Amino acid sequence: MKDKRMLGFELVRGAAAILLALAVGTIFIFLSSDEPFTALRYLLIGPLISIKGGLASFNTQGFYTILAAMIPTIFTGLAVCVMFSSNQFNLAGEGVVLTGGFVAALAGIYLHMNSGLHAVVCILIAAVIGGIIMLVPALLKVKLGASEMVTSLMLNYVCMYIVLHYLNFVFADRSKGSTQTFPFAETARIGSLVPGGSKLSWGFVAALVFVVIVALFMYRTRWGYAIRMIGINESFSKYSGMKVGGTIVLSQVIGGMLAGIGGSVEVLGRYSTFLWKELPGYGWTGVTIAILAKNNPLLVPLAAFFIAYLNKGCQLMATYCDVPSEMIDIIQAAIFLFFAAEQFLAGYRQKIVVKNTRADLAKVAAGAEGGAE
Amino acid sequence: MWDQLLSTILKEEFLFSVIRITAPILFAALGAVVASKAGVTNIGLEGIMMISALFGVLFSYWTQSWLVGVLGAMIVGILLALMMGFFALKLKTDIILAGIAVNMMGAGGTIFLLYMFTGMRGNTGSLMSPNILIPTVNIPLIKDIPILGDILSGHAILTYLAFLFVWLMWILLYRTPLGLNIRAVGENANAASSVGVSVLKIKYIALALSGALAGFGGAFMSMYYSQGWNSGMVAGRGFIALAAQAMGRGEPVGAMFSSLLFGLAQALRTKVSGLQGVSSYLVSSIPYVVTILGLVIYAASTIKRVKKARAEHSKAKA
Repeated sequence: MKDKRMLGFELVRGAAAILLALAVGTIFIFLSSDEPFTALRYLLIGPLISIKGGLASFNTQGFYTILAAMIPTIFTGLAVCVMFSSNQFNLAGEGVVLTGGFVAALAGIYLHMNSGLHAVVCILIAAVIGGIIMLVPALLKVKLGASEMVTSLMLNYVCMYIVLHYLNFVFADRSKGSTQTFPFAETARIGSLVPGGSKLSWGFVAALVFVVIVALFMYRTRWGYAIRMIGINESFSKYSGMKVGGTIVLSQVIGGMLAGIGGSVEVLGRYSTFLWKELPGYGWTGVTIAILAKNNPLLVPLAAFFIAYLNKGCQLMATYCDVPSEMIDIIQAAIFLFFAAEQFLAGYRQKIVVKNTRADLAKVAAGAEGGAE
Repeated sequence: MWDQLLSTILKEEFLFSVIRITAPILFAALGAVVASKAGVTNIGLEGIMMISALFGVLFSYWTQSWLVGVLGAMIVGILLALMMGFFALKLKTDIILAGIAVNMMGAGGTIFLLYMFTGMRGNTGSLMSPNILIPTVNIPLIKDIPILGDILSGHAILTYLAFLFVWLMWILLYRTPLGLNIRAVGENANAASSVGVSVLKIKYIALALSGALAGFGGAFMSMYYSQGWNSGMVAGRGFIALAAQAMGRGEPVGAMFSSLLFGLAQALRTKVSGLQGVSSYLVSSIPYVVTILGLVIYAASTIKRVKKARAEHSKAKA
């Protein structure tokens, strides 16, 4: 019963944080827009419900768009969950997504294989590259004690410029007006999940499968246990005989592989050539999602849905009203701050704890009286 | 190619640009130094620079005074740092996450704010005019020395201020009671608190100083360096500043030298990318690669030192 109350508290707290963030967003909408109520309508219900001539209807295409937008962020969210669980603030997800997408695209263009196998090989290559990239901040941290945060941030830029170099000077399709590679082989593309030209690919199913795999890994294997224990108390883990260094490296490499897979699945599922020219931003969204999911892989899809929904809402607001879509960053930042705030509504939690304890004491007292009789 | 490069590097103009490029990194690096001395990792420097750079332009445009712009940027920097402090110290948000949130606001929020205030998208374009840029000064006497004069004189006021702050920061940290308290809180907050130092207050002060310095850095970027604000302007300088702080062993003077190293790398990047047959993209990655290498060398040397100290310690025991 105690746990139930605390769970209820966590839910209330999360909801309050989100509402506060939306309130902050609303204030900005009112400050910047001439038609704030229309803008709000687009933000809050626009993504799923389209209103035509006073009639509201469920927007199936919009629903698919949201699900499609979740594909890369589920992967990066999972990656951040695993990496942050060992208390490592590794922020190289951005760079890894870009590089993973790029190498998968190259494998899709220059390797020749059966359909089915080809896409899997492309994704595996991206996973390996992602893992290798994450070795850099992980090993520097474990072996030399260099801050993984700073090295990973720098690594993002290094990845970006190296990919841009190869994209522009080595693998570019010169016959096209914009910078892009040649198209992938048909065999490497990830097919669409629903008919009708939607961007929702089988990658969505793969993402959900990985949610289960990562959840099992984190909560049902000893490596996952070790990663979580090290995150909670590194010294304790060390003195109880865990291989702390190796486990930290493992968690970062797994995170890198997941982010690499995310980039490759997104590129092969959404596009027909590689055309990213900057960091795609999924790495940072992954951090927000992991925070919302409290590092629990099973909650990642939910958090990803929420962010994708908000993102879509902001885009609609920018298209149909006079509010720039970058609004999403302000709302995300506010969610971030309140959601991660341990002391947010702490007074309320204190009351619950006191209430619970009183109830328990009363029970014990009643039990003692019963025993005395 | 190499002699072409050498001939450009060995000019006074190149060293002048190194100093110019170093200044904003140095401001932020000093911000990182004072925060970390108080035991706070301010990863939000990047976002603070972005936002205060924007407000620097806006304030100077509204008042047509560069000084108001710079001061406004500084105050915005302080407010943002205090907001981080409120969430991190009062509501116990992890300080790194609070910093990431500020960076998010810096990345997208600035574009939103710019649109909200001016209706412009992505950059401030026509808002900046030469009369509200941070003015440059020629230093009497020094400007007449042949080569040195060309390198050291004629910089923006804020450039000199950045290097002056290195000295002021050292004074603050090592010659004032406040500095002593900041260092005490960073070394051992419990011990500091037990002798009556208000840990919270000191951390807030250190964060505010850090925000003010990043605010100067932002103003420098938009009101002198790129002569206007645009969305990709800060480009990781706040993060590089964190690396400069780490490489400079957390000391003001050390941070200055590592900032100069990054300034050199950036300046090289602009020079090299102008040469024939060089990939501008690979060259662009130089400052970031240098940062990682710098961190590695620093970390490796620290470990060596610790090992040596331990070996001597055990020898002394025996």
